[in-house]
Amino acid sequence: MNKNTQYTYPFTAIVGQEQMKLALILNIINPTLSGVLIRGEKGTAKSTAVRALADILPEIEVIEGLPFNLAHDEEPDIIRECFAVTGEEVPADDSLSLSKQKVKVVELPVGATEDRVVGTLDLEHALKAGEKRIEPGLLAAAHRGILYVDEVNLLDDHVVDVLLDSAAMGVNTVEREGVSFSHPSRFTLVGTMNPEEGELRPQLLDRFGLCVHIEGISDPVERVTVMERRFAFEENPEAFCAQRSEESARLVEKIRGARELYPEVAISRDNLLAIANYCLEVGVDGHRGDIIIMKTAKTIAAYDGRGEVEKSDIDQAVMLALPHRIRRQPLQDIVMDVGAVLKR
Amino acid sequence: MHSRLYPFSAVIGQEELKLSLLLNTVNPRIGGVVIRGEKGTAKSTTVRALGALLPEKISAIEGTGCSPDVVTLPLNATEDMVAGGIDFQQTMKEGRRVFQPGLLAKADGGILYIDEVNLLDDHIVDIVLDAVASGENHVEREGISFAHSASFVLVGTMNPEEGELRPQLLDRFGFCVEVAAESDAERRVELMVRREAFDADKRGFIQRYRKENEMVAERITAARSLLLRVAVPSHLRGFITELCRENNVAGHRADLVIEQAAKAHAAYSGSREISVDDITAVAGLALVHRRRDPVPPPPPEPPQEKKDDQEQSNRENNKQPEQPRSAEQKHHEDAGNNPQKEQQEQGESEGNDTEDREEGRSGIDEEQPEGDSAVSVVEQLFNTGMPFKVRKISSPKDRKTRRGSGRRSRSRVSQKQGRYTKSTVKRKNNDIALDATLRAAAPFQRHRENNRGMAVVLKDQDIREKIREKRLGNLLIFVVDASGSMGARGRMVASKGAVMSLLIDAYQKRDKIAMVSFRKDDAVVNLPVTSSVELAATMLREMPVGGRTPFSAGMVKGYEIARNHLIKEPEARPILILVTDGKVNKALGPEKPLDEAFEISRKISREERIRFLVVDTEDPGLINFGLARKIAGLLGAEYYKIDDLQADSLLSVVKNVAS
Repeated sequence: MNKNTQYTYPFTAIVGQEQMKLALILNIINPTLSGVLIRGEKGTAKSTAVRALADILPEIEVIEGLPFNLAHDEEPDIIRECFAVTGEEVPADDSLSLSKQKVKVVELPVGATEDRVVGTLDLEHALKAGEKRIEPGLLAAAHRGILYVDEVNLLDDHVVDVLLDSAAMGVNTVEREGVSFSHPSRFTLVGTMNPEEGELRPQLLDRFGLCVHIEGISDPVERVTVMERRFAFEENPEAFCAQRSEESARLVEKIRGARELYPEVAISRDNLLAIANYCLEVGVDGHRGDIIIMKTAKTIAAYDGRGEVEKSDIDQAVMLALPHRIRRQPLQDIVMDVGAVLKR
Repeated sequence: MHSRLYPFSAVIGQEELKLSLLLNTVNPRIGGVVIRGEKGTAKSTTVRALGALLPEKISAIEGTGCSPDVVTLPLNATEDMVAGGIDFQQTMKEGRRVFQPGLLAKADGGILYIDEVNLLDDHIVDIVLDAVASGENHVEREGISFAHSASFVLVGTMNPEEGELRPQLLDRFGFCVEVAAESDAERRVELMVRREAFDADKRGFIQRYRKENEMVAERITAARSLLLRVAVPSHLRGFITELCRENNVAGHRADLVIEQAAKAHAAYSGSREISVDDITAVAGLALVHRRRDPVPPPPPEPPQEKKDDQEQSNRENNKQPEQPRSAEQKHHEDAGNNPQKEQQEQGESEGNDTEDREEGRSGIDEEQPEGDSAVSVVEQLFNTGMPFKVRKISSPKDRKTRRGSGRRSRSRVSQKQGRYTKSTVKRKNNDIALDATLRAAAPFQRHRENNRGMAVVLKDQDIREKIREKRLGNLLIFVVDASGSMGARGRMVASKGAVMSLLIDAYQKRDKIAMVSFRKDDAVVNLPVTSSVELAATMLREMPVGGRTPFSAGMVKGYEIARNHLIKEPEARPILILVTDGKVNKALGPEKPLDEAFEISRKISREERIRFLVVDTEDPGLINFGLARKIAGLLGAEYYKIDDLQADSLLSVVKNVAS
C-alpha cells in the first residue's frame, strides 16, 4: 500500500505454516467465520502473516465522510445516528456518496484503554464548541475489517468484556462519560498468543471461529529458505516485493473468485449430519462449533473452486474449527489433533 | 434495528427460554429472567429477537420518545449514563442544570438487557437493583435531585463458567432458565441450515418468519389485555404456597412470582382463570434458583471448567469476616474440651524432638539423605488428586491505589488503565474526567467571563479526575506440609489436588506465586516468587513426602518471602496459603514444637498486609486434634477443610444467604 514509505513482507513469501495461511485466507473470503486465533511460539511469523494480509485484502464500498466504514445498505436509522454523533450534516438517503477502500487491518494494542477501543467524547470539540461529539474508537475503525490483537491473552479483562459485547451482537454500544450511542461493529477478530503466557477466557476463545497452532519449521532446507527470503527482503524490500507481486496478484484473484462463488456453494444434508455427529462425539459447548464447521467447509470448497462441499472439506474444517472448542481438563493444552480425540 | 435480528420464531428448541421471555412480556411483574447456560446456545439471540415482538407501547415515557425496546446495558457503562446525570450541552446553553436521562429511563416500560450480567460492576448492579425493587430511579448526583419511573423487565444472560451471580441479585430475577445445546443431530442440522439461510439473505429470512412472528406478537397483545381479568381461585393460592413450602424456598418472592407467572400463562393461553396446569408450567422456572434443599444443581459444572469468578469477590469478601470469627470461637471450645489430647500431643512432640535433633545433625541435604538418620524416613511420591473449582479467594477492596495487572482482587489503581468508575475533585494523576469536569463547569458558563473565544471556560475548581478500578493479581505463597503424617491414607493426594486447584485458579487470575514445603528437618523454598504456574505444578507433582513436621521453619520461610515482597511493593497484598494437618513435631529452637508454632503464628499475624488461609488436611476421623484450626485462629486466617475449598454451587450460595 504505502509503497514509498514502508514495505510489508509479502504474504506469499511466508514459508510453510500452511494451516495458518489457509485460516487467514478463509477468513478473508468469508468474514462471517469471525476470526482466527493463532497459537504458537515466538518467532513463527504469526505477526508477519497478519500484517502481510493488508496486501491481499479485497476492496469494499463505504459511505464517505464517516469513520465507521458503513455499507450503503445499512439501516437508514443507523446511518443517520452515525452522522449525527460525529456532528456531520445528515444527508438525504439518496445522496450518500460512496467510496472504495481496502479492508483495513486495525491493530488493538494490549495496553489500549477502554475509551480508545469503544470511542469517547471529542475533548477538543466539547471545549471549543460546547457540544457533544463522538470520537469513534478502534471498534468503529474495525467494522467490516480485521481487528488484530497481538498477545490477545494478555489483554486486560475489561477490554475483553468490550470485545465480547460487540462480537456477540455486531454492535458497539457506548454508554459512558456523557455519551450514549451505538454503531455497527462486525469485525474479523485475529489474535495471536503464546500459550506459555496463559490461556484465554473460554468465552473469548469461543468467539474465534478458527484456531491454528503453529510451530517452528523443523525441516532444515525450509529453514534455510526462511533465512534466505528474510535476508533478501531486508536487503532490498522493493525488489523482493516486486518479484512476488505476480504471485500476490494471483492469490488476490483466487480470493475474489472464491468470494463470488461462496454464496452458491451447496452442502448436502448427509454432510451436515456428519458435522453434527462430529460435534456431539467430541463434546463441544453450544452450537457455534457446528455452524463454524459448516461455514468453513463451504469456504474451503469455494477456495478450491468447487460448488459442492466434499467430505474432505469437512475433515479439514474440523481441524480448524474444533481444537479450541473441545471440553478439556484444566492446565491441559488445547488438543490440536482432533482426529485423535475422535478415535478414542 | 429489527430488520437485522434473527426472528424469534425461528429459534429452534429452547422452549423454556422462549416461554419465560414471552410470559415476562405479557406480565412484567414477574420480575425478569436470568438465563444461564454454556456459550453458543442462542441466549443473546433469543433475547434480542424478543425486541421485535414487543407491542408498540407498554407505557408512555416522557422524553425518550421511542417505542419500548430491548435496551442494552453494556458492561462498561458508567454510573452517570445508567442513572442519568447532567446534560452539559443543554446546561451550558440554558445556564441551569438540565437532567439527561440514563439507561434506566430509556428502559422504562421495556426490557433492560444485560449480557454477561455476572460480570457487571458492583456499583452499577446496585443502581439497577434499586430501580427494579422500587420501580423508580432516584438520582442524587452532581447537584441534581430527580426521580422518574423506571419499571422494566430485567433480562440477564450469563455463562456460569465466568463466575456465579451474587445471590441477592439472583433472587431479584423472577425466573431462572437453564439452556443447553441440542443433543439431537437432526435438530443440530436444522439449526445450521437456518443460520446459513439467515446469513445468506437476512431480509428474505425474516420475511419468511414474519407471519409466525406477527402471530406471537398478536398473542402477546391479546394476553396483555386479558391479564387484568384473569382470576386466581383461592384454593390454587394455597397450592402455590404449598409448592413453595415443599421446596423450602427463601422468602415470599417465589409465591408472588408464581402467581403472576401463572396469570400470564393463563392469559397467554386465552383463559380467564388460572388452572393447576398454569401453575405447574411456571413453578419450575421460579423455583429453580430459590430452592434451598440440595436438589441436583441446574448445570452440572464440569470440574475442569475453571473460570475467574470475577464479579463476586466483593460480595464474598463482605461475608468473609464472619467465617474466621466463628472458626475462632469453635477452636476455643475445642481447646476447652480436649485439654488432655493436647497434652498428649505435646508429649509426643517432645519425644520426637530428640530424634529430630539427631537427624538434623546427620544430613543437611534436604532432598535425598543417605538414610542414616535415627528414624528411617520413608519417602513417597503421591499422585495429584483431582483438581476442582476453588472458591473465591481475594483481598478485600480498600481505598489504597496500586498499580499492576492480574485478575484476582479489585483495587483502585493509579495508572491510567482500568475501568473508570467515578470522578473525584481530588487532583492526583492528571487523569481528567472530561465529562464530569464539563458537567461541573456547565451551570456557571453564562456568568463567567469568556475572552478567548472558547465555548467553555474552565476554572481550576471544575476539574474532576477519574477514579479507576481494576483487578490485580496477588502474590500467593503456598506453604505446604510434606511431612510423613500427610502421607497417611491418601491425604497427600487430596492435598496435592487442593493445591493444584489453587494453582489453576492462580493461573487464571494472573497471580504471582511462590512455594515453600517443609518436611523432615527444614523448610525449602521450592519456588521463589514467579509467574510461572506451570513450574509450580511440576514442583508439586514431584514433591516427595516423609519425615517430621518442622512447621515453624515453614512458616518463617513463607513469611520471609512475603516480607521481602512487601519491601519491594509496599501496597501489595500477599496471601499466604498454609496446607497442613497441624501435627507439629519439630521446632526451630529449644521450645516445645507446638508452643513454638503457636507463638510464631501469633507473631506473624501482626503483619496486617498479609492475608492468611489455612487448608486443614487432617482426616475427619474419630480423634481430631484440631491443631490446624487452632493455628488458623492464631493467625487470624480463613480456615477451610479441603472439601470446603470447593466453589459453592449456585444453590448452596443461595442457601447460605437464606439461612
